[in-house]
Amino acid sequence: MTTTALKKAAIPTRRAYSARMAEYGAIDSDFAVMDADIGYSTYSYLFGDKYPGRYFNMGIAEVNMFACAAGFAANGRTVIAGSYGVFITMRAVEVIRSFICYPNLNVKILSSHGGLTAAIDGVTHQATEDIATMSTIPNMKVLVPADPVAAGKLFDVSFTSPGPVFTRLMRDPYYEIYDDSASFVLGGSNTLREGSDITIVSYGDMVFQAVAAAEELARSGISAEVIDAYSIKPYDAETILQSIRKTGALLVAENHQRKNGLGYELGILSLREFPVPFDNLGLRDMFAESGDYYKLLEKYGLSSSWINKAATALVARKEQNNA
Amino acid sequence: MNQVLTSDREARLLKLRQMAQQVRFHVVDMVHHVQSGHIGGSLSAAEILTALYFDIMNIDPDNPKRPDRDRMLMSKGHACPVLYASLALRGFFPVEELRTLRQFESRLQGHPVIKTPGVDMTTGSLGIGFGVAVGMAMEAKLSGASYNVYALLGDGELNEGVVWEAASAAQKYRLDNLVAIIDRNNLQNDGVSDTIMPMEPIDRKFEAFNWEVRRINGHDMQQVLQTLEEARDFRGKPFCIVADTVKGKGVSFMENQRSWHGSPPNDEQYRQAVSEIQGALV
Ligand SMILES: Cc1ncc(C[n+]2csc(CCOP(=O)(O)OP(=O)(O)O)c2C)c(N)n1
Ligand SMILES: [Mg+2]
Repeated sequence: MTTTALKKAAIPTRRAYSARMAEYGAIDSDFAVMDADIGYSTYSYLFGDKYPGRYFNMGIAEVNMFACAAGFAANGRTVIAGSYGVFITMRAVEVIRSFICYPNLNVKILSSHGGLTAAIDGVTHQATEDIATMSTIPNMKVLVPADPVAAGKLFDVSFTSPGPVFTRLMRDPYYEIYDDSASFVLGGSNTLREGSDITIVSYGDMVFQAVAAAEELARSGISAEVIDAYSIKPYDAETILQSIRKTGALLVAENHQRKNGLGYELGILSLREFPVPFDNLGLRDMFAESGDYYKLLEKYGLSSSWINKAATALVARKEQNNA
Repeated sequence: MNQVLTSDREARLLKLRQMAQQVRFHVVDMVHHVQSGHIGGSLSAAEILTALYFDIMNIDPDNPKRPDRDRMLMSKGHACPVLYASLALRGFFPVEELRTLRQFESRLQGHPVIKTPGVDMTTGSLGIGFGVAVGMAMEAKLSGASYNVYALLGDGELNEGVVWEAASAAQKYRLDNLVAIIDRNNLQNDGVSDTIMPMEPIDRKFEAFNWEVRRINGHDMQQVLQTLEEARDFRGKPFCIVADTVKGKGVSFMENQRSWHGSPPNDEQYRQAVSEIQGALV
């Protein structure tokens, strides 16, 4: 990433979510937490150290962990179950669909290593289809915090929203987007920067990339509105439609496969309600590789410079249409 | 005659023991260099992989995809530093390449991929590599091929239910061309395996699944070699070797420590580790 006024975040969102979960143990004395032998990676151990009696390490057995979580929840006890995104949203997906979402149970999912933030671990650990699988299942809600503050607050949103909620978290710390006064609600979004030429919607780590791109765009005379769509499902259709009615162009940038991500969802929203020049950035039907996060984002077309290019092209298209 | 045979074997063992230390050196060296990678479970498997790649397996570094070669499934894919070190020292790619581990555009991905010379299959998501090994062994039987398929599993990996689905299929099809090796270091990501998810008696579990089972000290090269030879030639059933090992073996301060599962050494720790590994060579 090139230029931004943002401050480096001290901790990754996976840690911030788990730290809040550990605090929340004092607010709610009933809920249980499960992990699949990566509690030191998801930081769920922060809860386990304080409340060992309701912390369960289920071993490297994600399918069974979610089945057991369904068992707890069917008995009426809320469970937060954590692992890495790929193992949750692919290996255990049928359990999540038929035994958690179908009966609409209170299982909250802590999903780390979202998108290419698992960078150096390589493709087996990079969850780049998680938003597609999770948001396709009825009853599931999907949240993605962009920074540690958002992660802590979205923990509360997840906990207090009835039924299953999936929260995508990141492996490494990036930038701070919010201060403590920020607020988050299920189905909400935050407009981080107002603009008149184009709407850029993103989530998770892509938010700081979008903010950086908007700064660059401003220097070349393009005024971009930046929306953090932290609630992917349900998403904030009202705010996004209002924004594109004003700007007349929409770019969605996500660290995910382009197919069946938020870009597809919002592209259809726009087509249905208010068609505007549209583009979406994401992986182009391909697997990435191991390596430095910033190099990967550059190579696979997701970095702020790619957002900048795509936004510039969309604004040109819009002006052509208007001419 | 017997005398010659014994000393031949001694020479072979000595060479393998020295090679295992070289493998250890490169594991520590690459993980230190790139400051990322799984050291503990690599060091616990150094003898096993050395015996496989430098003695037991029928492989050809000049023709890594030769159809009649033996296969090795690194089912505990996170421990790929030990696999990459073995492959490089065996001649599949230059030793210098080891220091590109996990880096952008390297052939040595964070978890093994099938396109790297010498790597037989993509792995990294625990449990499933073993099922792939079963599939390879079944396919070998179907096509009348005579090679063996070896699979290395972690003891934590045995938590995955799919491991036991694979073990069932292997006995159903009497896959005597399949050898499973369990790296029983009694540690996984979050701590002691016996605490996280008790799996013992591992040997008796595999016996109950109708496998032929041996339990050995996975750092005693003589036992490792002899048992792998027996497994290679064994017929009638799939063969499982439960190798009792020490996670971080060969570097005193890494041994039996959860914290060395996935974290890299700093410069000071690197120097000490290298001196211990090289000290053990003489
Ligand atoms: C399906 C799956 N779940 C979780 C992980 C994350 N993970 C990587 S290594 C590891 C612990 C492995 O322990 P073990 O099998 O005993 O290996 P070793 O001790 O030899 O390193 C875990 C949980 C993974 N790679 N795959
Ligand atoms: Mg182990």
